[in-house]
Amino acid sequence: MNRKKWLSSLVMLLTLALMLAACSGGGSNGQSGNSSGGQSGNADQTTGSSSSGEKEDTYHAVMAIPMFQAEPKDFQMVEDEINRIMKEKINATVDIMPIPIGNWMQQMNLMLSSGEKLDLLFTSSSMGYSSQAATGKLAPLNDLLAGPGKVIVENVGEKYINATKIAGESYGVPTIRDLAANYEYVMRKDLVDKHNIDLTSIRTFDDIERVLEIIKTNEPDIVPIAPGGAGNSGMLVGYNAWDSLGDGFGVLMDPDSLVVSNLYESEEYREIVTRMHDWYKKGYILRDAATNQIAANQLVKAGKVFSYLGNGKPGFAEQESRAAGMELVTVEIRGPFAATTNVTGLMWSIAQQSENKEKAMEILSLFYSDKEIIDLINWGIEGVHYVKIGDNMIDFAEGLDASTTGYMPNWDWLTGNAYLTYVFKGGDPEVWEKTKVFNESAKASKALGFTFNADPVKTEYTAVTNVVNQYKVGLESGTLDPEKTLPEFIQKLKAAGIDKIIEEKQRQLDEWAQQNNVK
Amino acid sequence: MERMIEMALQTQPDSGQLAVAATSKRFVRFRKYLPLTLMVIPGLLYLMINNYLPMAGLVIAFKEINFAKGILASDWVGWKNFEYLFATSDAYIITRNTILYNAAWIVLGTMLAIFLAIMLNEVKQKLFARFYQSVIVLPHLISIVIVAYLVYAALSLETGFINKSILPLFGMDDIMFYFEPKYWPFILTAVHLWKGLGFSVVVYFAAIIGIDEEYYEAARLDGATKWQQIRGITLPLISPVIIMLTLLAVGRIFYSDFGLFYQVPMNSGPLYETTNVIDTYVYRGLLGLGDIGMSAAAGFYQSIVGFILVLTANFIVRKIDRDNALF
Repeated sequence: MNRKKWLSSLVMLLTLALMLAACSGGGSNGQSGNSSGGQSGNADQTTGSSSSGEKEDTYHAVMAIPMFQAEPKDFQMVEDEINRIMKEKINATVDIMPIPIGNWMQQMNLMLSSGEKLDLLFTSSSMGYSSQAATGKLAPLNDLLAGPGKVIVENVGEKYINATKIAGESYGVPTIRDLAANYEYVMRKDLVDKHNIDLTSIRTFDDIERVLEIIKTNEPDIVPIAPGGAGNSGMLVGYNAWDSLGDGFGVLMDPDSLVVSNLYESEEYREIVTRMHDWYKKGYILRDAATNQIAANQLVKAGKVFSYLGNGKPGFAEQESRAAGMELVTVEIRGPFAATTNVTGLMWSIAQQSENKEKAMEILSLFYSDKEIIDLINWGIEGVHYVKIGDNMIDFAEGLDASTTGYMPNWDWLTGNAYLTYVFKGGDPEVWEKTKVFNESAKASKALGFTFNADPVKTEYTAVTNVVNQYKVGLESGTLDPEKTLPEFIQKLKAAGIDKIIEEKQRQLDEWAQQNNVK
Repeated sequence: MERMIEMALQTQPDSGQLAVAATSKRFVRFRKYLPLTLMVIPGLLYLMINNYLPMAGLVIAFKEINFAKGILASDWVGWKNFEYLFATSDAYIITRNTILYNAAWIVLGTMLAIFLAIMLNEVKQKLFARFYQSVIVLPHLISIVIVAYLVYAALSLETGFINKSILPLFGMDDIMFYFEPKYWPFILTAVHLWKGLGFSVVVYFAAIIGIDEEYYEAARLDGATKWQQIRGITLPLISPVIIMLTLLAVGRIFYSDFGLFYQVPMNSGPLYETTNVIDTYVYRGLLGLGDIGMSAAAGFYQSIVGFILVLTANFIVRKIDRDNALF
C-alpha cells in the first residue's frame, strides 16, 4: 500500500514538473510574441540576419516561398541585398524561406496550424486556399488592401482581386502574370518538319488524330502522345471547354450560363474519353500514361514521346523548348479562357499568426511595385548574376551559364509582378505585352470570381474525392474502357453524394451571382 | 503489474509492529530502489510527452477548428467529423481491406519470422549467421518510396523487368499490373513481408538465443530429434514473446502502413478495390479539404477500435493461459 503511495506521489511530482515546464515555455513564447509589436524584442534582434543591430523597431518578417528546383547557392547573398534595400525603403527586413515544392503542403499545414512565426506565404486554389481561409489560417485582406496594399490593387486590377474573394472577403492577392489559360498542342519541331505536317491545319482533336497516325506509322520507336501533366494525370489536363469551378465536382458545361451540372454524366465527356480510349487502343498514347511520374517535356527530352497537350500562354513554346532541350512548336486548340482558378492558382497571402500584418502588406506591396526588389528576387544581383544586354533583356553575367550561375530560381511568374521584370535572353522581349493582350482577350467564365466552400458537404466531398481519384485518370488517359467503366463511375459518384454537392454549389453560386449582380 | 502489487502486499509487515519501524523500513527500501526509480524517469517523461499529453488533442475530433479562434474556442460539432468514415459506399471495402491484410500478415508474418529465426539459430558459423541476419534486416531500412520504385521497376508496363524480360521468355502477353486489382493482394503481401520481416526475426532470434543450451543437451541425450526439440523446447519457451508481439500487432489492426498502400501501387485508381485502406482513404479524401477535425476523428476511431481489440485479445489469452497475458 505504502509503496503505491510513493509511486503516486512520484507521478504527481512528475506531472507537476511537466506542467510547470509547459507553462513556462508557453509564457516565454507569448512574451516574445508581444514584445516585437511594442518595444524591441531580443528575439527579433537575434533572428535578424545581416541587418541586425541597427534601428530599434525594424520589423523582421518571414516569407515562405515554394522552390521548384535545388536552392540556388547565392540565395543568402541575394536575400541580404533585398533586405538592405527594403530596410531603407520601409524599415523592414524579410527572411525568405524557400521550401521544396514536394514538402510544401505538409510544411505549410504544420506552420499554419502550429502558429510558428510566419508572415507571408504563397497560396493556391489547388493547395487548399478556400479551406485555409475558411479555417482562419489566412488573414482577411480587405482592409489591408484598402490601406498599405493599395498599390497592389492598382497593379493587379480590381476585377482579379474580386476573384479571390470568399464570402466577400479577400484572403490572397494573385500574382501578376497570365491570368487565363489556353489549351495547346505541343510537338517536336524536327519531326513536324520531317513529315511536312501543316501546323495551320491543326484545330481539333480530329486533326490531332491525323498527326498521331502519321507519327505512329512512320516513327515506330516513338510514342505519339503523352498527357501534359506529370504524375497521375490524364489527357484533359488544362482542357478548358467547361468551367470546372475549381474541383470538377459540379461544373458549368456552358461557361456563359450559371447552371451547375455533373461533368462526368455529360455527352461531351463521354465523347472525349471514348476518343482517348480509341487512341490508347491504337497505341497513340503512352501505355504507362496513368501511372507515369515524369513530366511530358522530360519524356520528349528523353526522345520517347513526340507530343503532348496542356495549358499554354504567351511564350509557352519557348519555355517548353528550354525545358526539353530541343525546339518545340505549339498550336492553340482552344483559345484563352479565364476561370476563378486561373486567377487563384498563384497567390500571396498573409498568415493569420503574423505579428504585424500592416508591415507584411507593405513588404508584399514592394514585390508588386518595386522593380529593384522584383529584379533581385527573380534574377539576382546585376553584374554578379546577370548583365543587361538590351533595354529590357538580360543574360548571364560573364563566364556563367545555366549550370554555373549562383542564382537562377526560375520563378518570375511566382514572385509578384512579372510585368515589371526583365526578360531573360531566349525569351520573347514582348512576352509581357503579349500577356496583357492574352489576358484581355480571354473569354471569361460567367462564374469568374466564384469560389466554392465545401464545408457544408464535407462528408460527401471526401467520398466523391475518392471516387474521382479512382476513375478519372484511368478514363482520361484512355486506359480504361468507358463503355464499361463510365456507367460504373457515374453510379458510384451518385452513391457518394455528388448530387448533394452540385445542389449546394448551385445554391452558393446563385447567392454569389445575386450579391455581385451577375446575370 | 497486478502481481507486483500482490507481492508488495505480501511483504507488508504484520499488524502490531511499530509505526516508526515501518517508516524506517520503508525509507530503507526507498533508498534501495532509488537508482531504479530514477532510471525510469526518462522513459516516463518520454511517454508523458509523446503519448499522454497529446491525448488532450482528441477534442479536435469533436470540433470545427478555426485557427483564428484557437482550438479551445472553436465550435463543438458532436459526431459530425466521424460521419464521412461511414457514409461512403467504400466504407465496407476500406474496412475489409484494412482488417484482412493485417490479419493475414499477423499470421503469415509471425510464422515466417519464427521459422527464419529458428533457421538462423541453426547456422552454427557466427560469420554466416550475422551475414544472413543483416540481409534479412536490410529491407527494413529502405525508404518505402524507394521500395515503390523498385516494385515499379519490376512491374511497369513500358520498362518493367517482368513485362520486358520474364514474360517474353514464356511467350506470354504483357500484364498491366497497375490496372488489375487481382494481383495486388499478393504483391502487397510479398512486399510487406520482404520489408517488415527482418525486424521481428531479430526479436525472435534474440529470444531463442536466450534459451538455456542445457535444455537442448538434455533433450539430445534422450534422443529427441531436431523437430521434437523445436516443438518441445523452442516454441514453448518463446511463446511469451510471440504472444506479446501478436497482441501488439492486433492493437494496430485498424491502422495500415500508409506508405505501402499509397506509394507502392503508385496511387493507381483502378487498384483501389484491393489497395484502398482506411489511412489512404482518409488521406485522399482530406487532401483537398485539409480538415484536421476529420483526420483527428479517423485517428480517434482507429485507436478506440485498436484499444478494444487489444483488451479482447488479452482477455482471451488470460482465459487460456494466465501467465502469458500482457496485463
